[in-house]
Amino acid sequence: MATSTQSQPPALTFPRPIFAAVSPHPFLQAHLSADKRTPQRANGRTAHNSRRPGVNTGSLTHANGSAVVRLGNTSVVCGVRAEILREEDISGSSDFAVPTTPSDTDDQDGSKEIDVLRLVVPNVELSTGSTPSHIPGNAPSTYQQSLITRIRSLLLSTNLLRAKDLRILYTPTTNPDDPDEEPETQIKGYWVLYVDVFFISVDGSAFDAAWIGILAALRDTKLPRAWYDEEFEGILCSDDPAEATTLQLRGLPVPATFAVFEGQAEDGIEGDKDWILSDPDAFEEGVCRESVCVVVDGKKSVRRIEKSGGGVVGRDGMRELVRRAGERWSEVEQVLGGKA
Amino acid sequence: MNTDRRRNNAPPGGTSAPVFARTIREPGYLQSLRPRRSRGPNELRRIFLQPSIIPSASGSAYLEIPTSSTPSTSTLVPPTSSLKITASVQGPKPLPRSAPFSPSLLLTTTVKFAPFATRNRRGYIRDTTERDLGVHLETALRGVIIGERWPKSGVEVVVTILEGDEDGWWGDSASEGSANGSGWGLLNVLAGCITVASAAITDAGIDCVDVITGGVAAITRNPDSRDQKDLARLLDPCPAEHKEIVAACAVAYLASRDEITEIWMKGDIGADPDALIEGATHAAVGSLAVVKDVLLEALQAKFQGQLEVKESGVKRKAGDVDMTG
Repeated sequence: MATSTQSQPPALTFPRPIFAAVSPHPFLQAHLSADKRTPQRANGRTAHNSRRPGVNTGSLTHANGSAVVRLGNTSVVCGVRAEILREEDISGSSDFAVPTTPSDTDDQDGSKEIDVLRLVVPNVELSTGSTPSHIPGNAPSTYQQSLITRIRSLLLSTNLLRAKDLRILYTPTTNPDDPDEEPETQIKGYWVLYVDVFFISVDGSAFDAAWIGILAALRDTKLPRAWYDEEFEGILCSDDPAEATTLQLRGLPVPATFAVFEGQAEDGIEGDKDWILSDPDAFEEGVCRESVCVVVDGKKSVRRIEKSGGGVVGRDGMRELVRRAGERWSEVEQVLGGKA
Repeated sequence: MNTDRRRNNAPPGGTSAPVFARTIREPGYLQSLRPRRSRGPNELRRIFLQPSIIPSASGSAYLEIPTSSTPSTSTLVPPTSSLKITASVQGPKPLPRSAPFSPSLLLTTTVKFAPFATRNRRGYIRDTTERDLGVHLETALRGVIIGERWPKSGVEVVVTILEGDEDGWWGDSASEGSANGSGWGLLNVLAGCITVASAAITDAGIDCVDVITGGVAAITRNPDSRDQKDLARLLDPCPAEHKEIVAACAVAYLASRDEITEIWMKGDIGADPDALIEGATHAAVGSLAVVKDVLLEALQAKFQGQLEVKESGVKRKAGDVDMTG
């Protein structure tokens, strides 16, 4: 590379990685504006192109459900472990009655039950050497904390889990108060789902990867049949896989993250062009300030929109992004196995 | 249960792991689940190793030692666990200006179990076992790295255990209280950490005097024989497969220099500890063969890539981006 500088007035040339490190913004702009028709990003994708997730489930021995998800160079391991919360350990007087209608009507009630009793405990760990900016030994960074909060609130607001799946019910053989009446069914405990997401490697779109990992792991989760045993005076489980139940998830909310790259005017080149990049990698996330995350379920419903920084994406732009998120949904749905 | 304000916490009342009915009602059924060693005493488990799994780290590796016992499909009780470890090396990079002068490379090691790594769920805050493992790993690695070549720099070795070996068969701990001694699984975990960290350091291109690998050997008592002195020496033990382990030893071994940088021994070794240590070094040599092969392959692939780049050098030069202004 250095030999070319011998000839007269050298245009300063750099190999790609050095150009990218020294001046990231012009580097990405040079790439995007090289081809007017189909702008190519530095990673070889087009602006609308997102990375196809690779999903592998059931690889962890000690988890009830697990998944390894790769999104390009971002890879996560997600494990779901179910433990039992006994009824007498529930603090406070938060009484949740057994719903009398045995159907899907406990929508609102169920999600409150999951929220108040903390029946789902999602956590994320980034300090596994997955990225140079998260070194272990320190407290979780604000980024990691916000990731945890976003995941928990999305889990609760989408009503993904059904409280019905998590309850452990018990109907005594006789009614202790009045032997003539029908015995009442009571809640003896709950399954608590610990959802732990470990990042092996981070290269952008951490939230998307973590969420797809959680979805895949929850769909893989098998809860053993559990019952209250009068003789044992506790909750026992059956180890027969045929009796175990899988979780019935409500819908399949899939997030799509976009980063807005604002072109800068340079001498001679008109620069006020902006690109909206699907599924940004770590380098692009570092250059872009405005980002949008749209969570859609199916072709119709939008479950959540998060947007921060900048003002490039307006109302029309948002409509376009929701459409792109719908395309992303079909792609992820296909990978996850499609029984939404 | 201490609360952590920066993470989501479990319900305040605490939760308990499920109890399976058949394991407490039918003792015979419980014993039928007991795993047995199907390998020969000197036969190691198969090792899978892959370097360069984390592009943003300067070096990384993934190690997996699958279980030799076949997982049964007739029960939900988890079978014996395999060993799955990732290691990532960040650095060497300059120390912060506030740090005092250091004539050689400062090595920091962190070992962390994932919450789903063991039969009982683990927390996020590092506990004493993990700190202990970290110190052991650091002593093992300090002996191989040529630290004088990086003055005023630091390097982070981060090891994450996605799945760890168990201290014994779970059925024993439930029925007999704590078996004699504990922490047998930690020795296997340490040996795995040493091997995977060594591969990651080589992947990062940090100069070492030799490739270091970990190995474990154990002395077990034969449960079928009456004689108390009927002991057997095994390489690479899987603690769940043995009812009674008398002693075990993990070493970090430099094969070509015949040196040991770290040794961790537990239990009643008896009069002759040398035989046990020698067994552990044999196990280390076994994993060295795998590490060397994998690293050589990775290196060849890297150079192959560079050669191709050179051949198409003219084209590449045109691909360089002109920087104006």
